[in-house]
Amino acid sequence: MAKILYIEDIQDNITLVEKIVKSRGHEFLFARNAETGLELAFTSQPDLILLDLGLPDADGQTLSVWLKGNPLLASTPIIVLTAWPEEVVRQTVSAYNLNGYLCKPFSLMDLVNMIDSVLGAQSS
Amino acid sequence: MTLEIIPADAFTIQELTDLYNQTRVDYLVPMPMNADRLNEYVKDFDVDLHQSCVACDTNGQVLGLSMLGFRHQTAWITRLGVLPAARRTGAGSALMNSMLANAEKLGAKETHLEVIRNNEPAYKLFLKNGFVEKDTYLVMRHAPRPITASMHGEVTWLNFDEALEKLASYPHHLTWINACESMHNSPNTEGLHIRLPNGDSGWLVYRNTKFTLRSTLSHLIMHTEQGDAGEVGIQLLSHLHTHYPHHDTYAENIHEKDRHLPAFQSLGYFTNFSRVEMRHQQK
Repeated sequence: MAKILYIEDIQDNITLVEKIVKSRGHEFLFARNAETGLELAFTSQPDLILLDLGLPDADGQTLSVWLKGNPLLASTPIIVLTAWPEEVVRQTVSAYNLNGYLCKPFSLMDLVNMIDSVLGAQSS
Repeated sequence: MTLEIIPADAFTIQELTDLYNQTRVDYLVPMPMNADRLNEYVKDFDVDLHQSCVACDTNGQVLGLSMLGFRHQTAWITRLGVLPAARRTGAGSALMNSMLANAEKLGAKETHLEVIRNNEPAYKLFLKNGFVEKDTYLVMRHAPRPITASMHGEVTWLNFDEALEKLASYPHHLTWINACESMHNSPNTEGLHIRLPNGDSGWLVYRNTKFTLRSTLSHLIMHTEQGDAGEVGIQLLSHLHTHYPHHDTYAENIHEKDRHLPAFQSLGYFTNFSRVEMRHQQK
């Protein structure tokens, strides 16, 4: 079982992802803004972070820099879940050295496969 | 639908923030705000909340909002949005009419706004209301990464006053968010000046915003006083990012034909989206 932190401001998305993550037996944590997400990441040391790019206090790109700038979280994989155009997200994931992305709306299986793939790569 | 237009200062910042976020929930580029950020936005960009408007139905249900800034006989429309369920009800047009009427009342000779490229419904609304397309600007990002360019030049770091002094000499048009007044309104404005060994020179003004835990760079404005803009730009950005190696950077409204664009790109900046500036002449 892995500990997964989702940083997202829209409740409907949190509810959906929570169901998917818990259905796979993982522990689910969430934060609705960058600052809370950063604090929760430090205190909970998740195995994987799911990150929305549009957050109300600081955007996801900036938050990813702050997360990766901390030695305790530098190697924690980050998957971007966003409604941004795919080409921009692809460039963002590459530039910010993140671990993957899914563009909204994504299917349940897409998310399950992405989580399994990233966690599998980490454990191996 | 019968609509009522209410001055935005009848609402709290939190209420306006919640309404703004709801209008942008399905936006091309979702950019939600919290109340602190909206408050800062109002201050930085001289938004007049009394001249800004909220559209409601006859039951008092909020449908959308729009904000108006005013400086030196020029008005600026921003944050205009309508709740998804209230679109095609005339709320957008009603807000636009109120903005233009308020701009005229304040004495504006011209009204500006920016719209994200490919936001066709908004673009058509603005065209219909007499706005004409002016210029295209890029919104770019830069993630922290090692600087590979060979660095040289004599750098002078500029404090708030020195940076604003340089900015006042900028010879090209600046959109509202990077204008001298906007940079003056932020205590985070600073800059650097460079003189290269061959005599080429230029400056870069930006905001260094301190969040609770970290900082970011934004609102970059670059000017080459003399010489090759490409090389001056590369050196300015290289020194900036060497000085701030861990800062995320958000460069808004760089003109699509800015001579420093190749310098931005060579330093790893990439375009998130583009904006079209549109202008309306008051009759």
